[in-house]
Amino acid sequence: MIEIRNLVKNYGKVTALDDVSFDVKKGDILGFLGPNGAGKSTAMNIITGYLAPTSGNVVIDGIDAVENSLEARKLIGYLPEQPPLFGEMTVKEYLNFICDLKRVPKKKRTAMLDDICYIVKIGDVRNRVIRNLSKGYRQRVGFAQALVGDPPILILDEPTVGLDPKQVVEFRRIISSLGRNHTIILSTHILQEVTAVCSDVVIINNGKVAKTGSLSDFVSTDANVKRFAVTFDTGDKEVAEKLLSGVFKNYSFSRTDHGMLVYRFSTDSKSTGVKELFFNSASAGVALYELKPMEKSFEEEFVRIITSDMKEGV
Amino acid sequence: MSAVFKREIQSYFKSPVAYCIIGFFGILTGLYFWNVNLSNMQIEFSYTLGSLISFVIFFIPVITMKLFSDDKKNGTEVLFRTAPVSTWRIVIGKYLASAVVFGCMLLESMVCPVIMYFFMNKGGTFPLAMTISGYIAFTLLGLAFLAVGSFASSVTDSQPLAAVLGVIILIVINFIETVGEHIKGTFGSILVWLSLSSRYNNFVLGMFDFSALIFYLSFTAMMLFITIINIDRKRWN
Repeated sequence: MIEIRNLVKNYGKVTALDDVSFDVKKGDILGFLGPNGAGKSTAMNIITGYLAPTSGNVVIDGIDAVENSLEARKLIGYLPEQPPLFGEMTVKEYLNFICDLKRVPKKKRTAMLDDICYIVKIGDVRNRVIRNLSKGYRQRVGFAQALVGDPPILILDEPTVGLDPKQVVEFRRIISSLGRNHTIILSTHILQEVTAVCSDVVIINNGKVAKTGSLSDFVSTDANVKRFAVTFDTGDKEVAEKLLSGVFKNYSFSRTDHGMLVYRFSTDSKSTGVKELFFNSASAGVALYELKPMEKSFEEEFVRIITSDMKEGV
Repeated sequence: MSAVFKREIQSYFKSPVAYCIIGFFGILTGLYFWNVNLSNMQIEFSYTLGSLISFVIFFIPVITMKLFSDDKKNGTEVLFRTAPVSTWRIVIGKYLASAVVFGCMLLESMVCPVIMYFFMNKGGTFPLAMTISGYIAFTLLGLAFLAVGSFASSVTDSQPLAAVLGVIILIVINFIETVGEHIKGTFGSILVWLSLSSRYNNFVLGMFDFSALIFYLSFTAMMLFITIINIDRKRWN
């Protein structure tokens, strides 16, 4: 649906995007991640036609979005970081103006605006002046604007920034439900947001793509290998290592703040080693303070990608 | 284009700016009408219009100052530049809306010649042709000024700066005639030729100057074209 090829954008001497390429398949919700200033907004501005790239291509549903920007724009609904609202208009006037701007046929309007107001829940403020609305409602009106004309592609630039926790949950619910029949690019630096709604992830850092893949690539590693951490309720290293080495050959060691011993090890998912360790410790009279599987968390993975990328850069 | 035009008209008449300008221009027109036409028994209203030009130089940039600068400041520019609408439609839509405000100023000033027409002493003849040609020239000049103001607004994201810039450009354009007259040779005559106000005088005398009409319209088109380029340019920056 969206093909991005070798995108480069220079602002004067500063390179904001450096050879960025990725694809978004139809029906995907793509999480577009990166630290602040990584080039997320620049990339989105190029996809939506607000900016032209220095070089490279954006193809949207077969249309070259750089050469034939006006045609491509018809397919996109865009919610920029700061919702583009006219404070002096009422919500109704504003949405009607957007309909005019996007040339939505008059016949379809009433039904479409009713639907949109229902989806983003702004039915009760339709006759209010936008200037007087709360931040959450303004964000919703901005979202409604992106939905006008029922574009198949939605591009949302940090849509939940500045919302309260309840609104954040609600927004994510809306985005997930829209994902059923839209292709969505969701830029954010909130990682839970990605795990909550996205199917695919592109991580961008210093203007370059650091990693792409489906969400599962980032969250779990090889399904057959499980990692565990065991904390012994003893300070005697010899005893603990004797118990452990009886079952596992490779482990790493660290100590908790309270002086307890922590070992990390990997095991085959079919192995009974973990059980053995448990019973052996019990019979030896050494209590296990904690024994837990370690899932590679998305946060860890994200930080690892960003920092390793920085080291390479240096 | 009509969407942008409609919104811009709404925005003009929902804020006090348009009413203030139209009202204040009405007061000034009344004062000049009283001073030039009534007190001095001068029947030519086009002279009055001519005197008002120096005020219009200040009024018009105030009308146009918000056209593009406001969108940049409020972040609504992104709406226009990502909507499936080409830049020229947006520029023309906004320009026409500002022209409607100017049109209101023209309409209210017409009260004066209408008063003269109906309340003239018996036996006198009202110089209808001169008044009409005076209005044509005034309209053309106003349209050209509005285009300059639009351009000034597209340069910055600050409304006051856009207004000041517009006034400065208009003052320069209007005074190059005076400067040109003092410079001998080709350069002087080029300056006079470039001046917008120098062409006004023929109309005041009741002559319909076709070349001036073309000049004013092409000047307006050129300024709007520069405005469009200036906005499109940002996409490539």
